[in-house]
Amino acid sequence: MGQDTFQITVNCIKLVLVFLMMVQAVPILVWLERRGSAFIQNRLGPNRVGPLGLMQLLADAVKFLTKEEFFPAGGVKFLYYAAPVAALVPATLAFAAIPMSAPVHIDPFEMFGKNWGPYTFFWQGFEINVGIVYILGVSSLGAYSILMAGWGSGNKYSLLGALRASAQIISYELALGLSIVGIILLYGTFNLGEMIAAQQGLLHFQFLGHTVESTWLPNWGIFYQPLAAVIFFAATFAESNRLPFDLAEGEAELVAGFHVEYGGFKMLLFFIGEYGHMMVAAGLMTTFFFGGWSIPGVSYESVYQWAQGAAATNSGASLLAGLIHFLVWTVKFAIFLWIFIQVRWTLPRFRYDQLMDLGWKTMLPWALGNTIITAIVLLIAHS
Amino acid sequence: MSTDAILFWILAFMTVSSALTVVLITNPIYCALSLALTMVGVSALFVTLNAYFLAGVQMIVYAGAVLVLFVMVLMLFDLKHELQAFTRGKMTGALKLASIGLLAGLIAGAILMSNGILLTKSEAFTSPDMASDTTKQLGHLIFSQYLFGFEALGVLLMVVAVGAVALSRSKGGTHAKS
Repeated sequence: MGQDTFQITVNCIKLVLVFLMMVQAVPILVWLERRGSAFIQNRLGPNRVGPLGLMQLLADAVKFLTKEEFFPAGGVKFLYYAAPVAALVPATLAFAAIPMSAPVHIDPFEMFGKNWGPYTFFWQGFEINVGIVYILGVSSLGAYSILMAGWGSGNKYSLLGALRASAQIISYELALGLSIVGIILLYGTFNLGEMIAAQQGLLHFQFLGHTVESTWLPNWGIFYQPLAAVIFFAATFAESNRLPFDLAEGEAELVAGFHVEYGGFKMLLFFIGEYGHMMVAAGLMTTFFFGGWSIPGVSYESVYQWAQGAAATNSGASLLAGLIHFLVWTVKFAIFLWIFIQVRWTLPRFRYDQLMDLGWKTMLPWALGNTIITAIVLLIAHS
Repeated sequence: MSTDAILFWILAFMTVSSALTVVLITNPIYCALSLALTMVGVSALFVTLNAYFLAGVQMIVYAGAVLVLFVMVLMLFDLKHELQAFTRGKMTGALKLASIGLLAGLIAGAILMSNGILLTKSEAFTSPDMASDTTKQLGHLIFSQYLFGFEALGVLLMVVAVGAVALSRSKGGTHAKS
């Protein structure tokens, strides 16, 4: 966690902040989803409570808290109550490992009559050297909460929804994992921070002795791995059970799928879990393919130099530069979240066999081919 | 006790108790869930040993595999019937005895072979630069020194998968009219 009290305290506060950021983004996303879906469907959406209907969030929260406590007959009590909590955990843990801005360097300073040495704080919950493997591992636990809910509810619709969801998650995890392999080969690291560092500047690479350089395109992963980007993004839709892959809760045939028996705050926890998966996916898309917190056309150094003029100390300048890059990251992040919402209200749901065909017969072979081609190209380029 | 030791004992207790639950509890659902918990515990133990990559892979591969098991339990087992079939009869008694013998042999073998392993500290894995990049080290070892074992394991797993499909097909699979 850190070498001394100061670093440990800051790191703990950071963990809480990242968690709160995730949880607090959910009401805003719900509002955005309801308003956005309304505009896509040529309606108005919630617009009566407060300005632009923003107070609807508070009304929703009160409604969630005051709903009747309900336990279905024939359910398994432990699993029924454990499932919503378990739904929150994987997304939270995974989201904490996503880097949101440039590391902040704090120079030595004096406080409470003691000297506190130089620190480097990462703009994320915690820094892990094998970030990708960790995130994939943790989010693969997400299916358990759905299965626990499906079994614990003692309801046929719930169980069918849970089985569909688990089959879908297992199938798409393969394509998801394989699509990332190309990225890992390209950057030669599992560390998300190093990946972002490799995407700085303008598009430039060496191939067969030629140096290719672009004058305006940023050095983003999507220009090297466009196929991986498409497959990864589609697979994350399936992982977070969003339309067009939300067969787990297909209203037309399963009432509401695995969360039929859940109401009030328990239902909200499932919601937060789903949005958390979306946020992890959006964060990973930004990190892998869109340069993370880097600003296209502007280097970190120039931002830092500008911040030095604005702030008094080097630590302050580093913090200010970090804040600016965090805002840039947030914009990219928000764009992907909006794409999630836009797709949900634009595309119809797949049929079950179409879903499996897409996962196993289309995305998996393409991801595998992408991996092999990337490996061959890298071998040629490096030799 | 240092924090590392406390962490280790908590994790070890969690892992071992959930592993015992897998064996001792009769409800297959809870068995599968505690098996998943065991896997998570083992991967957390890997983290305390600084083997982050192994921990992640443990989580992805084994937690995912247990998920498949869970689904199998839910879909294919007639829970009450299976319970009786597994707790009565001479055949299962013999199987139980055989597995006890196997387990005892495994434990005895492990104790005999690991004797002294923890006492001699190998210098190779304690240097800081190796600890920081164990993933690369692991990759190099798997694809050079242990290549044969690695590939053989892959073939073995393939055979197991194909064999399982073939066996289930030969008896009518999930649509068997027993």
